[in-house]
Amino acid sequence: MRVRILRQESPDSSPYWQEFTYECSADQTVAGMLEEMNSLDDLKDAEGKKVPHIIWECSCLQGMCGACAMVINGQPALACETFIRNIKGDLITLEPLRKFPTIKDLAVDRSIIQEKLLQENAYIEEYKGSDSKEYDHQYLAGKCLKCGLCLEICPNYKGSRRFYGAAFANDCYLIETRSDVHKKDIKKSYDDHFAAGCSKSLACVDVCPMKIPTLASMAKMNRIK
Amino acid sequence: MKNVLIIGSGISGLSCAISCAELGMKATILSPYVSERAQSVLAAGGINAVLDHSEDSIESHIEDTLKGGAYIAGTESVKGLCTNAPDVVRWLERLGTVFTRENGEISRRAFGGQSHNRTCYCGAATGKQIVTALTMEARRFEGKGLIRRMIRCDFYSALIKDGRCYGAVVFNENTGKMELIRADALVIAAGGQNALFGKTTGSQLCDGYAAGRLFMQGVDLKNLEFIQYHPTTIKTVHKKMLVSEAARGEGGRLYYLDGDRRVYFMEDKFGPGGNLMPRDIVSKCIYETHKQVYLDVTFLGKETILKKIPEIYELCQKYYGIDISQESIPVDPSVHFFMGGIAVRNNHETNIKDLYAVGECASIYHGANRLGGNSLLAAAYSGRVAAASIAKSAEEKTASDDEFKDELKAAQDVLTNNGGTKDRLTVKYVRDMLAQIMNRELGIVRCEEELKKGIEDIEYYIGVADETVPDDAELPYYTYSLKAILVLAKAVLICAQERRESRGAHLRSDHPETDDGFKAPTIISYDDGRFTVTYDREGRYES
Repeated sequence: MRVRILRQESPDSSPYWQEFTYECSADQTVAGMLEEMNSLDDLKDAEGKKVPHIIWECSCLQGMCGACAMVINGQPALACETFIRNIKGDLITLEPLRKFPTIKDLAVDRSIIQEKLLQENAYIEEYKGSDSKEYDHQYLAGKCLKCGLCLEICPNYKGSRRFYGAAFANDCYLIETRSDVHKKDIKKSYDDHFAAGCSKSLACVDVCPMKIPTLASMAKMNRIK
Repeated sequence: MKNVLIIGSGISGLSCAISCAELGMKATILSPYVSERAQSVLAAGGINAVLDHSEDSIESHIEDTLKGGAYIAGTESVKGLCTNAPDVVRWLERLGTVFTRENGEISRRAFGGQSHNRTCYCGAATGKQIVTALTMEARRFEGKGLIRRMIRCDFYSALIKDGRCYGAVVFNENTGKMELIRADALVIAAGGQNALFGKTTGSQLCDGYAAGRLFMQGVDLKNLEFIQYHPTTIKTVHKKMLVSEAARGEGGRLYYLDGDRRVYFMEDKFGPGGNLMPRDIVSKCIYETHKQVYLDVTFLGKETILKKIPEIYELCQKYYGIDISQESIPVDPSVHFFMGGIAVRNNHETNIKDLYAVGECASIYHGANRLGGNSLLAAAYSGRVAAASIAKSAEEKTASDDEFKDELKAAQDVLTNNGGTKDRLTVKYVRDMLAQIMNRELGIVRCEEELKKGIEDIEYYIGVADETVPDDAELPYYTYSLKAILVLAKAVLICAQERRESRGAHLRSDHPETDDGFKAPTIISYDDGRFTVTYDREGRYES
């Protein structure tokens, strides 16, 4: 199998493609494959030249932390949830998420997600109590990994200048439905930084590893006067 | 205003930071990644608290916890944990944790070793939901300037002078430099020691380095030999994954096959509640079958499975290719949790003044075996206890950076050290060998001969650790953490060798009986390469 990886030595250097020839089990995930490749003392590219190990982020390796989000064969996905058996053909391309600054190789700086939430005071302050009708929706929204896949695939998200994307919208929903103190402010933030910029491609819904119903969050938030 | 530096951004670190802010202190949370990547998000099953006193009682929670820990956890600390558990759960609820509810109250399920259903839960993603709520609350205090986050930063060492802690030296990945961070108190919330075993059910990020490094700086460690093998994990090509105890809490049954006949060995041995015995007992019984064991939840039906334990359904389908509403799950015990860690008193302070440890890296409540549902409780509770103690006792310090220039210089030198010339082993190779040794010698059942061999093997790698070849692609942390992790591994093996009895999660084939002579926590200390083991019979750490 051919593995092409877009590598980059530092935030300021230029990216370059590097190709490897690597065989691994069809049951392996892309994350497991990267681990296997990095476990080699001498990692060699397809031409037999020794190259540095590949830098990428990982923590849980089972789709629960969002660290290993990257672009796999052109599609944003979690590497630990993408199985080799589901790759079409014999070529895997791996790129870092392109809408975030690259730190090194496949590792990117996603801190802008948290920065915008902080800037918009995305917190509950005083919890108004549970609402059984909202439980299933809140439970799913509470599982957001802040992995950035929804922002990567969104046609409207261009680096968070004004439009903050689905991760922001779902947190707005979580706050609006559970906070009396903060609901007006968060609705305004939602209108300014999500509703005004969303063209409803809903690509974010399909790509979300947690299956968060962003459309339902939008419906709820949009209904609020 | 007091400044508190917290190493780690999971539940215990967040809980501590929020509590510090509530008490009018400033907290800095330092971690390599954001809280969403912390191991806490993997905690599935629930958090224990007695919310309904009609049948259950705090006393029963205390007794179950002490009994589950084979009676070597401190009574007073466990009393504090269990008595405050309802307040902890209510606090998490007030912060907006999305608990599963029935008839308006938080739902509870049965967990192993408990006499009543007292495990409060959020579906099968309790840790994740708590992290989400705490992260939002921490953000509130970030906005007020009372919590500061330092992401992409790694712990290097504590600043210790004359038995008192003044902060830490940290490696800042953003600048590529070592930095001094002075603080009135330092709190370690760095999680368990997974890296000793390579792959466990937990996060790759929890490696035990902080415990190992502090041990080398004179901090006592405790109960290191007690390592929890979770009875129900699935082995995939790239990881051992936990099948939460929630599966058995909802009625799941363990069996093995004798021909075509299912043998429900736990029920045969312990009666109808046999599947929910404490984890040490279930793992031991699975080990003794010498057969493939299966976990059956098919009789619950797909609707109940998808309602009560959807994450387990998805996990098994995605990574194991089985539909658990149709087939049983083949399960094996795997390393899951470390009861041992940094020795702390009841206020979570170590033997160094103003140096605290909370969450899994601290050893206090679980004795020789932890009950399911008590780790999330201990994580949230311990952060609050440490914050309260710091508010009460830590002094605002006036030391200057200049007083620690030698420590900073030594740390900076580590970054330029390219290793020696002999035995040019790579860091990766040594880490792999470490995991091999630990998995081989510290299985569910141990013996003197194997432990001795393990110690000798680790000693060899400690001897060459300073001369390994750094990986030029990896962060310096990956290299500089190696020696302390190896030293920690040796300490674990020594503790296991010295405890010549079987108790809780520590089983010795050559000493199969429990010996009351060992009915005390193990304390291990380090002085210039010398390891000393004692047993805390006087309750030094129980005050």
